[in-house]
Amino acid sequence: MNRTQSINAFERRLQVDTGANVSSHVAFSSRVLCEPRHAWRQRVIERLDELCKLQVGWDGYQAPPVSFANAHFAASMLASACPLDAPEPQIVPGASGDLQIEWHTETTDIELHIRAPNDVDAWRVVMSAPEREDQLHLTMDFRVVADWLVELSEASVAARSSAA
Amino acid sequence: MREIMSRPDNLPDYRNPPLNEVVLGVQFAPAQGYQQIRAREVWELYRADFPFVEEQPPLPPTFETFGLPAQGNPFSFGIVAGAMHDRFWFLSKSRDEVIQFQQDRLLHNWRKGGDGNNSYPRFEKIIVNFEAELQLLEKYFNGLAVQNIKCNQAEISYTNHIPLDREGAPSKADDWLRILNFGDGAPDDISMVARRALLGSDGAPYGRIICEANTSLNPKGGRILVLALTVRGAPSEPSISSALDFLIKGRDVIVEEFTSITTDSAHGLWGRVR
Repeated sequence: MNRTQSINAFERRLQVDTGANVSSHVAFSSRVLCEPRHAWRQRVIERLDELCKLQVGWDGYQAPPVSFANAHFAASMLASACPLDAPEPQIVPGASGDLQIEWHTETTDIELHIRAPNDVDAWRVVMSAPEREDQLHLTMDFRVVADWLVELSEASVAARSSAA
Repeated sequence: MREIMSRPDNLPDYRNPPLNEVVLGVQFAPAQGYQQIRAREVWELYRADFPFVEEQPPLPPTFETFGLPAQGNPFSFGIVAGAMHDRFWFLSKSRDEVIQFQQDRLLHNWRKGGDGNNSYPRFEKIIVNFEAELQLLEKYFNGLAVQNIKCNQAEISYTNHIPLDREGAPSKADDWLRILNFGDGAPDDISMVARRALLGSDGAPYGRIICEANTSLNPKGGRILVLALTVRGAPSEPSISSALDFLIKGRDVIVEEFTSITTDSAHGLWGRVR
């Protein structure tokens, strides 16, 4: 068995035995060139960093910066919910250390309001059926948001194809 | 406060598990009115039993969230914004128990001492002590402003040190861990992390188990396999009671997982009794 076969066998065995995904095998990957999972990942981190450094009163009143915990929760949520081809979100600070993550495309609007860790209001409207809004309160399970983003990405591709 | 509970009958048990460290922890929203200058007041809550103090860099907030499968590790994220609160270690006289405190965390560690002869007090005792420590902290925070601790994550970790070059014992990692079978090509060293969502009876995720295995050296220079199992997630309610319930469930998951991924021959050497 060569080295690659050994690694593959190891991963298969691990998955069979534990049901887990092998998420890190540093010793094997040191010479592997990996693209970032999302092209916008670094920009999102920089934006969150910027929002955590806002001065108190940045809104002209007494608003604090986005809280450190909310920024970390937002990063974790995005990593869990965004498919690889999801477009870059807009990130908007709130007046109470909260923040809003938004996608606005020609087909769909999605807004996620992070009030606190595990306290998220999710909203979606699809332009083809604007009378039907989806509105949910979410905690740590963002599978529904992942579905929305998959649909948004597919709809955007379809809209661009038909326009072209 | 809950009474000291008994170990569930159906849970596997070992006379001599390779346990080196146990950590129970809760992450919470920073308390109103608390500033780092008050850290000494927090130490005074525990000082009688934890008379030594050390300062450490803070732990970043950590959250388990769920969505698409196989998304890999969360964003690596190192925001440094404004004043950071240090993490304090309050150590017991024998230094084998540590309370870790920072503005959004309280953790209780038990660890093997230098000679490795201190006995594990068992989970049932540690969690009762941890509950008392959390209640003391909540009472203190409540004196700063009317408030309860709002737990947003709870976590429990068991770290095992499995010696790989002890005389008369197996020397290959796959003799101990079923998941590390490389056939004839036994690796010189190992570094792996496996993560799996834990699902409730409704199929919804309630937490995550993280299994880490790494080869390393013990203080005497002997080769060891470090096997760390962690269960982390949001309690169903933000209360202390709910966080403790999560930890109790997490302990059961870790013991079952440990038994599942380790070999029968290892169980024999560790004195499995159930």
